[in-house]
Amino acid sequence: MSRSDLMRGGLIAALVALVGLLPLAINDFQKTQFAFVAVYVIAIAGLNIVTGYAGQVSLGHGAAVSIGAYTTAILAGQHGVPYYATIPVAAAVAGLGGLALGLPALRLSGLYLALVTFGVAVSTPAIAKHFTKFTGGSTGQGFTIVKPPGNLVTENEWLYYFSWAFALAALAVAWLLVRGRLGRAFRAVRDSEVAATSSGIDLSVYKLVAFAISAAFAGVAGSLFAIDNLSYVSPDAPDPIKLSIYLLVGAVVAGLGSLRGIVIGALLIEFLYTGDLEKWLHLPKSVPADFFFGAVLVVVIVLVPRGAAGLLSRLAGLGRLYPYHSKAGTPPERGVSTE
Amino acid sequence: MVAFTWSELFQQIVSGLSTGGIYASLALAIVIIYRSTRVINFAQGEMATFSTYIAFWLIHDHGWPYWGAFFATLAMSFVGGVLLERTVLRPVEGAPVLTIAIVTLGLLVALNGLTRWLFGGETQVFPSAFSTRAIHVGGVSFSLQDAGFIGLAIVAVALLWVFFQFTKVGLAMRGTAINRDAARLLGVPVGRMLALGWGLAAALGALSGMLTAGSVATFDPNLMLGVLLYALAAAVLGGLESPIGAVVGGLLLGVVLNLLGTYTSFFSGDMRLVGGLAIILVVLLVRPAGIFGRVTARKV
Amino acid sequence: MTRKLILIGVLAAAAVAATGALARSSATPGVTSDTILLGGTAPLTGEASSAAGVAKGADAYFKWINSHGKVNGRDVDYMYLDDAYDPARTVQDVRQLVQQNNVFAIFNTLGTNNNLAVRDFLNQTSVPQLFAASGADTFGLDYQKYPWTIGYIPSYGFEGGVYAHYVLKTKPKAKIAVLYQDDEYGRDLLNGLTAGLGSHAKQIVAAAKYDPTQPDVSSQVAQLKASKADTFMIFAFGKFGIQAFLYANKLGWHPQIFVNAVASSANLMTLSTITSSKAETTGAISIVYFKDPTDPRWAKDKGIALFRQILKAYDPSANPKDGYYLAGMASAYTMVDALKKAGANPTRDSLLQAALSLNETSNPFVIPGIAVKTSASDHFPMQQVGLQRWTGTHWTGFGPILSK
Repeated sequence: MSRSDLMRGGLIAALVALVGLLPLAINDFQKTQFAFVAVYVIAIAGLNIVTGYAGQVSLGHGAAVSIGAYTTAILAGQHGVPYYATIPVAAAVAGLGGLALGLPALRLSGLYLALVTFGVAVSTPAIAKHFTKFTGGSTGQGFTIVKPPGNLVTENEWLYYFSWAFALAALAVAWLLVRGRLGRAFRAVRDSEVAATSSGIDLSVYKLVAFAISAAFAGVAGSLFAIDNLSYVSPDAPDPIKLSIYLLVGAVVAGLGSLRGIVIGALLIEFLYTGDLEKWLHLPKSVPADFFFGAVLVVVIVLVPRGAAGLLSRLAGLGRLYPYHSKAGTPPERGVSTE
Repeated sequence: MVAFTWSELFQQIVSGLSTGGIYASLALAIVIIYRSTRVINFAQGEMATFSTYIAFWLIHDHGWPYWGAFFATLAMSFVGGVLLERTVLRPVEGAPVLTIAIVTLGLLVALNGLTRWLFGGETQVFPSAFSTRAIHVGGVSFSLQDAGFIGLAIVAVALLWVFFQFTKVGLAMRGTAINRDAARLLGVPVGRMLALGWGLAAALGALSGMLTAGSVATFDPNLMLGVLLYALAAAVLGGLESPIGAVVGGLLLGVVLNLLGTYTSFFSGDMRLVGGLAIILVVLLVRPAGIFGRVTARKV
Repeated sequence: MTRKLILIGVLAAAAVAATGALARSSATPGVTSDTILLGGTAPLTGEASSAAGVAKGADAYFKWINSHGKVNGRDVDYMYLDDAYDPARTVQDVRQLVQQNNVFAIFNTLGTNNNLAVRDFLNQTSVPQLFAASGADTFGLDYQKYPWTIGYIPSYGFEGGVYAHYVLKTKPKAKIAVLYQDDEYGRDLLNGLTAGLGSHAKQIVAAAKYDPTQPDVSSQVAQLKASKADTFMIFAFGKFGIQAFLYANKLGWHPQIFVNAVASSANLMTLSTITSSKAETTGAISIVYFKDPTDPRWAKDKGIALFRQILKAYDPSANPKDGYYLAGMASAYTMVDALKKAGANPTRDSLLQAALSLNETSNPFVIPGIAVKTSASDHFPMQQVGLQRWTGTHWTGFGPILSK
């Protein structure tokens, strides 16, 4: 076992322990806030796979979250499917959606892809509103509020542990994916399409796979969002446009192309979104949260392009001091991917 | 559905041109930045809204005459655009496309919040540069405002064309856009050209914001937020490189969406936005260079 | 090791939660010997922040009550959180209010979708959701499924019906064109109008919908004008209401205009008059139920004087012409009424019963003749309205009070 493997093992054990013990330190309501942190962890992990590792710009990740949320709400609310059984379906439906979103990526790259995916996020609420019979229209779609099995834990504790079980699993899956063959192929696509093609990697296949996997993660996140959001989904909750941008903020703050900082990105989204961060920093009430989201995004990407992951690994002595100096054999880990 | 009449068809075309003018003017600003710096500026609409509030503040709070405020706002927006480029975009110059897209998205969100914070969220009335009195020609009504809007957009395009074709600075800007390194070798101050591109686009955005607010009479901090997707669609439709394309694309989009909304039931109401997206997708997949763009060989 | 820690954590957390639950169930949440804590949400920031007065006005009224007699010896504290008009934030806010701040009831939350987002939760946990600030019909209609929820203002469906009856009475041959927002709000109004017209529904010769993300409604108004209608119903909100007047004027179309209540504030009508013309807006008709602080007929009214006095004392920075503050006070007045009726030791049940047996004829902020009235089978507190006509500079009331 190398030093970095030990460090990594320690980090994972610490995260698991923290997740298990945190409920002791917070009140009942705050458990739901941290349940949402788990939702964002899953969504950012997905976004990171397509954007950070495979280098495909997606400004439409919120749309996939929306699809997952609607899948759960419609199945549970209109067809009586138990909420936990809807989660794999949500992953599958969103994954298919991601596949469709990936199709333009076969012909378009960079900016054009950003444009199209942004358009998809902007159009999603309109589509959700339009097909009223299917989605509940602008009134939204609810289902029975989730109760814990037995009475060992409260409702909010159940939401917390349930969401975090998926979040930890998602992190594990993401880690296995990016360190294996698939992850290497993704990075090859990101770093040079020409080189990837000449070493026998089928670009179309890997791009589509990256979009599908990333959207499946978003689908699970959306499903949990619906469950944690008091079992209610509407065209603007989750708001695909806002969420696409917020998740991007989270992913950039976490550090694209690395899984280490994800929890920090997710914490930032939840506490900026609910306005708690403003309260803690004693900022004037009249300042909209959006202003901070935008400002954080710009400042982080300009000043700390590798995000929290970069800072963390520098602190832990894991990463290279100079991001662009690569170790032999491994592609450089960058703040952001290339075209 | 109402029975078809020719006068209604013409009325819908005229009103489509007027709405299309809004898309066109913002698309023009987007194209100018793209052309000179290869960036799609998602914050273009919010920059325009912010400029509109500055004009309103000069007119309403300081009693400036309309045209005085108009030109002062254009000048201030130009300076603001240059400053934005120098402070926010410069550090990420040469960074991957995604980085820059993220920065402009961040600007979009931050500027929208800033506008609300500084100026409040209420609906306000913006004075119009031209008379809004109706002129009736053969059953079709329009106002000087509509004609003036499209006229100003055309004047702006003509001036830009002259600038890019015949002035040294314009040529240098085009060179910078096509090949930064080559331009640098030829002694073009590349940094200054990029800043100039942002300044020009910010001023054009200000024009778009003021005309839009005047045309729809009212404005709030979300003035251009809804317009953005349509403007992007218009820019793509006309070809991201072409100022004339942006204007034609915007006008065409306005008319087509109006006719779809009037004569089909599917693309009316909330599905209008989806129509905008469909146009972006189809154009990008079928003819990525747009109507007026030159088709260049695609990388890989 | 880690696993053990988790297990300990889970068990300890469960124990803490269990004792917490026990301690809580003994007393009524939010009620102490000297205070009652109410919760709510409002758009204090964001796109709808101009309506924040609905919460602030209510808050000012409670403060006034606390120094003018209290409610059965208790102060009323109103804790309203900012949801920026985003239903997902309303969910988090309301959960915080109920679970962390232990409020007695949720009161006066603004917005249809915002109230819908928490309706299931509040009903499943038996927390009263009182006087939801939305005109959607569902808050009054679906009380069998949602017994803990009740709205306040006249419903959109009822409003549409009022216009139908007025048109049938005054202009039975009218040809009607409708501009409506493509969501529940616009559709409730249109459905109410259609139902009210009954066998005359064919007289709606054109209906055009718009989406709030589009920049203008010029195309829709042109479609409506082409229908040759002589009566124009504007079921549009905010800037789209203003634009409806503007484009009708621009097209040289001068029908009899009806404008729905949420778009009829004197402030918006003044903007509409400036941007279109005095001729276009003059004579427009709308319903009215709260006293309009800008209407000269209330210049010497005691209710309006009280409104101004309370604002001056408890929210001096507020604009005394802002009707949202007045709406908030009207709703707070009814809330105080319900709290008083809920008894010396109020419970959530007794509060709900009180809210369902209202018969209030003297709300100082509601126009005289309109009763705020509910019963076990009537969850629509306001089912009477007056009509008003725009003079070009302000609204004036006319005709009798109309009931359902």
